[in-house]
Amino acid sequence: MKRKESPSNSLKAYEGQPLSGSLESFDHITKELFDGTEDLSIRRFHVFGQHKAAMYSFSHMVQQSSVNEDIIKPLMHIPHHLQGRSFAPDELPDVILYEALYHGDVAREQKVDNVIKAILAGSTVILIEGVGEAIVISTRSIEKRGIEQPATEQVIRGPREGFIETLNTNLALIRYRLQSTDLRIKMREIGRRTKSKVAICYMDGIADPEILKELDRRMEPIDIDGVLDSGYLEQFIEDNKWSPFPQVQYTERPDKIVANLMEGRIAILVDGSPLALVVPTVFNQFYQTVEDYTERFMLMSAIRMARLVALMFSLVFPSLYVAIISFNPELIPTEFAVAVAGGRAGVPFPAVVEVLIMEVSMEVLREATIRLPQQVGGALSIVGVLVVGQAAVSAGFASPITVVIIALTTIGSFATPAYNAALALRLLRFPLIIMAGMFGLYGIMIGLIIIANHLLALKSFGVPYLSPLVPGNFQGMKDLLIRGPLGSLTKRPVFLNPQDSVKFRRKENDDAAGKQQDNPSPS
Amino acid sequence: MENTDSRQITLIQASAILISTIIGVGVLPLPLFAVRAADSAAPLVTIFAIGVAFLGIALLTWLGMRFPNQSIFQYGNDIIGKWLGTIGSIVVIVFFAVLTSLTAREFGEVVVTSVLKSTPVEVTVIVMLTLAAISARRSITTFAYFHTFYFPLLLVPCVLIAILSLGNAEVINLQPILLTSPNNAFMGTFTIAALFQGSFIMTVVIPAMRKPKKAMKASLFGILVSGGLYLIIVVASVSVFGAEEIKKLLWPTLELAKGASLPANVLERLDAAFLAVWVTAVFTTLLSSYFLTSVALKQVLHLKEHQVFTFILLPIVFFMAMLPQNVTHLYVIIEDIGRVGLYITMAYPGLLLLIAMLRKKRGERNA
Amino acid sequence: MHRAGISKQIRLLLAALLLMPLLTGCWDRLEIDERAVVLGVSIDEVTSEEAAERESEVSHVKGSLPPPKQGMVKVGVQIALPGRIPLGPGEGGGSNDTMQTVWVITVVGHSMDDAFMNLQQQVSSELFFGHLRIIVVSEAIAKKGMENINDYFRRNPEVRRMAWLMVSKGKALGLMTAAPKLERIPTLYLMSTLDNSIKMGKFPKDYIGVYWSNSSKKGQEGFLPYVAIKDEQNVEIQGLAYFRGEHMVGVTKPFEVAGYLGLRGVNPAGYRAVIMLDENDPNSTVMTNVTHRRSVIKLRLKDGVPHFDIYIELEANLEEKMSEEFEINNPDIIARIERVQSDASVKFYQNIIKKTQSKGSDIFGFGEHVRAKKPKYWNQYVKTKEAWQEKYKEVTFNIDVIVKIRRIGMKAI
Repeated sequence: MKRKESPSNSLKAYEGQPLSGSLESFDHITKELFDGTEDLSIRRFHVFGQHKAAMYSFSHMVQQSSVNEDIIKPLMHIPHHLQGRSFAPDELPDVILYEALYHGDVAREQKVDNVIKAILAGSTVILIEGVGEAIVISTRSIEKRGIEQPATEQVIRGPREGFIETLNTNLALIRYRLQSTDLRIKMREIGRRTKSKVAICYMDGIADPEILKELDRRMEPIDIDGVLDSGYLEQFIEDNKWSPFPQVQYTERPDKIVANLMEGRIAILVDGSPLALVVPTVFNQFYQTVEDYTERFMLMSAIRMARLVALMFSLVFPSLYVAIISFNPELIPTEFAVAVAGGRAGVPFPAVVEVLIMEVSMEVLREATIRLPQQVGGALSIVGVLVVGQAAVSAGFASPITVVIIALTTIGSFATPAYNAALALRLLRFPLIIMAGMFGLYGIMIGLIIIANHLLALKSFGVPYLSPLVPGNFQGMKDLLIRGPLGSLTKRPVFLNPQDSVKFRRKENDDAAGKQQDNPSPS
Repeated sequence: MENTDSRQITLIQASAILISTIIGVGVLPLPLFAVRAADSAAPLVTIFAIGVAFLGIALLTWLGMRFPNQSIFQYGNDIIGKWLGTIGSIVVIVFFAVLTSLTAREFGEVVVTSVLKSTPVEVTVIVMLTLAAISARRSITTFAYFHTFYFPLLLVPCVLIAILSLGNAEVINLQPILLTSPNNAFMGTFTIAALFQGSFIMTVVIPAMRKPKKAMKASLFGILVSGGLYLIIVVASVSVFGAEEIKKLLWPTLELAKGASLPANVLERLDAAFLAVWVTAVFTTLLSSYFLTSVALKQVLHLKEHQVFTFILLPIVFFMAMLPQNVTHLYVIIEDIGRVGLYITMAYPGLLLLIAMLRKKRGERNA
Repeated sequence: MHRAGISKQIRLLLAALLLMPLLTGCWDRLEIDERAVVLGVSIDEVTSEEAAERESEVSHVKGSLPPPKQGMVKVGVQIALPGRIPLGPGEGGGSNDTMQTVWVITVVGHSMDDAFMNLQQQVSSELFFGHLRIIVVSEAIAKKGMENINDYFRRNPEVRRMAWLMVSKGKALGLMTAAPKLERIPTLYLMSTLDNSIKMGKFPKDYIGVYWSNSSKKGQEGFLPYVAIKDEQNVEIQGLAYFRGEHMVGVTKPFEVAGYLGLRGVNPAGYRAVIMLDENDPNSTVMTNVTHRRSVIKLRLKDGVPHFDIYIELEANLEEKMSEEFEINNPDIIARIERVQSDASVKFYQNIIKKTQSKGSDIFGFGEHVRAKKPKYWNQYVKTKEAWQEKYKEVTFNIDVIVKIRRIGMKAI
């Protein structure tokens, strides 16, 4: 089967080939590689008015004013101190680099393929006739949006910055929060065509090297043509792709990343994605929020419990309803039972079908609300909830209690901070409803046991998913259902196997900076 | 990244395995067994039974600590020779396969009698067995995780029901606390002690324990908690119903749940809810005996993995579960098998221990 | 990792395959609105003519089965009508006609189950006993024996132990058709009547489960509330119907329930007593309200017969006096009231014990004390329920009552 040669393959032909020093031949190469590419600008000029040279760049990716002022101007117009001197061609790169060019990030390059790659990445390349070396100047300037509040992870109390698409900005956001020599950032390039830059950040001396190695082992074989978002990467490094539960956490909050780094986790950032990944991930991360740590511990413990209740609600509420209505009506108070029977009297379907229909329409409604333009969305959700619910009841299509149950469930699923975890529970609700429709409470329990067993067997990078609940760890449990006072959370999570396990040492006069404090030496 | 270190089970996990294995469907008819044996002295008989059960598990644990890297199916061969050891192991395996099927059937009967009245008992049995079979495929570390996760779920409903029924309790029902006729009590003690047979799982847990030296502590702890729970249930039901009423009830514990209601009438009766939660208790019990059976088969046949056996066992166990003709027949079998089982789960390890001591055999102690 | 993925697929497939046949299931699914929710059951005697006329041939062919010794039964059930009871606290329960919210049907049968099967034949939805709250047995049936009734309801897993079993004066069916005005559903009214009287200290906790436990015990007999319909469709608790074994043998007066409660030391207390300070002067009457009871029962053997020393302590408040002729303003007069009341109480308690002794029905559970505290004696001389029923007649009692009046209300004299 004959395949059309991909650009990276055609570039392969030039791999390792040295620059010839002839502008003519390089023009030939660019013509062949970038045939018909209009945005490649080739600017011919004479260095110091003597040597023929050419400048290559993608005009829309570079910062034009910098190119004009700092590159072309000093090269065309011979600077003051060089006036009257003449140079041999092979002296030129040195002179330009050391004496003429007003630009910080400059490199030399001898190989054709690297030069081409640099042009693709947005650098400006200068070639001089008769010189076997190119001067590569990073002039890349991509339009980016400003740093805004993270849309999906709003907080009331806490930093307001969120990641943006540009990797460098994101790394800067992390670095300025974590001014430590221990912060290591390793770069990788993934994506055969997109050549996306991937940054792996971790704290040296805290993160478990075993997990780092494992991460490397999982990143190595990834051979995908394009990584457009960190979500692509997530699916290649997770442990169990058949699980509905996310095994990698994502966040767009730099403060969250820093907190995780200091607990001994590893962050993965992808150029072009405002969402950073965090591994290893355990289940309790999905119902924790930033405020849990910034607000007073008693209030936030109570709210965290409420969130857990909401989580359980969104999973089992409809199935419990089905089980009680269709199998065990003796459980609810007599008066209520009789009234419920009255409410259901006109509904033609069994409770399980009724609930399934309502749940599915709720999902449709929810999806529609997300996809619609913002201006219309609000109107639709009100119309959907009010009109459809009301109409369904008065049409005898659903009983009023079913509507209440569905509404509670839906609201409950919104209370989970992590969208992907909420999604998993939303999905698992359906098999549970069906189980409840078949076996009542017994069926629900069987379903829950299956889910619990799955969670118990699941691991994220070797860390049991339900840590620190199972396997139990007393220190960790202080930050599980409730959030203990920061002063008492002295240890990093043990299940992450941190090199330096002490997060916070109690000094004579209690230092309350606990969370953000950095302990350089292992105890 | 799989942790190559297979000795992962901690003291608490080992106790949790014991507790959730022991607490199972046996709790439902337990007060009936106890009262049949000794009327109002039922709690006393239960305490005797806990003592007997602890003796059994202590023998096994002692043996296990002598051979900290092996289970009874392995050191049995070392102690009494290959042939006798294999025969012993096979008897144990058959016994636990039977125990698995009886547990599944017993719970199936409970569910079909009280909640799912028109569902065929085969369905409830096969569902439970399949669940156990699928879960028994995991490694022993995950197996320990399962138990650690579920065991608090078992304690809560029992204690809750005991507390809720306190209002109707009468101390006089528990008197006289001493035995009046010792004959029945003797048999009854063994019937109840037989409910602790799941603790035999300890033999495969010890070789996976991080510190096998703590195994005795785990056994003690496990028996104390599960025995304590048994005692609570017996005391609660006898004090609420009185001995004579219990004799008329097939599953007094379930009846206790029926009589209890949550404050403010949130749930007016707890029997169906209790039974639902009890699914986990039965699941953990089944899981343990299933796991034990398949791991034992693996070790007797010197294979690498026990997963193969989980599905092979399924039809056999299911078939055995369907053998009892009716619920009274089932209970006759359960009591008989239970008492026979005491020879297997107590006398056999005891014998092995004795011979091991006489022949001065020990396992290597590098653990 | 790869291997794990594959075995996972197989596992999912297997699980799916195993679930396939189950999808045809839903054996037990029965919507709440498809159930005939039985709220109350009444059990009456039936005359042989009526029985012959109404007997259905559902569980057996007519004439093939002789009627049981106790005779056939007429069972009335109260079934809730879904749709008639509005959801939520709506326009209150002012309905005058019972028939609006519930449906009362009667059938006859040889036994309970037979009767219910006959009923099922007439009702489209499946009968559901999960919400059965009230079982009313007519006095006549209770006297004939409750074996069959107890057996049926104990065996049925749907029936709750917190339901009320009661004996009615006259026809039991009357309680099913009664239409009290306070509740939407008549049986719930009946139930709350009894539940509230427990809260007010007027009746012991005597759910069907308690009755079963009591009548199972060797040294105790069961008793049931004895109720009657009044003119305004309301229900009055008229005392305790006490049993000997499975047979009802007598009824106490309503006030004698207080005797039972006092002897058992049940709290809270709620009965009032009329105290005449001067036997010849009706105007010297005061009323006290007992608020707290305590009883200690001591057992000893006297001449080979159990003897009980019962100490009862009652705390009371003064509620009312009939005239201004005397003033209640000093401890002396309070002491006098206390003395008179305790003397009266001793007689009162003795009477009620005698009454039950004459029938051999130990509803107080004195026998349980003997069994619990003197097991040797019990095993030697009593051992069985029947033996205790006889022995109970010989038992002697010594009752001591201490009354303490604590408060006299807002009035100073």
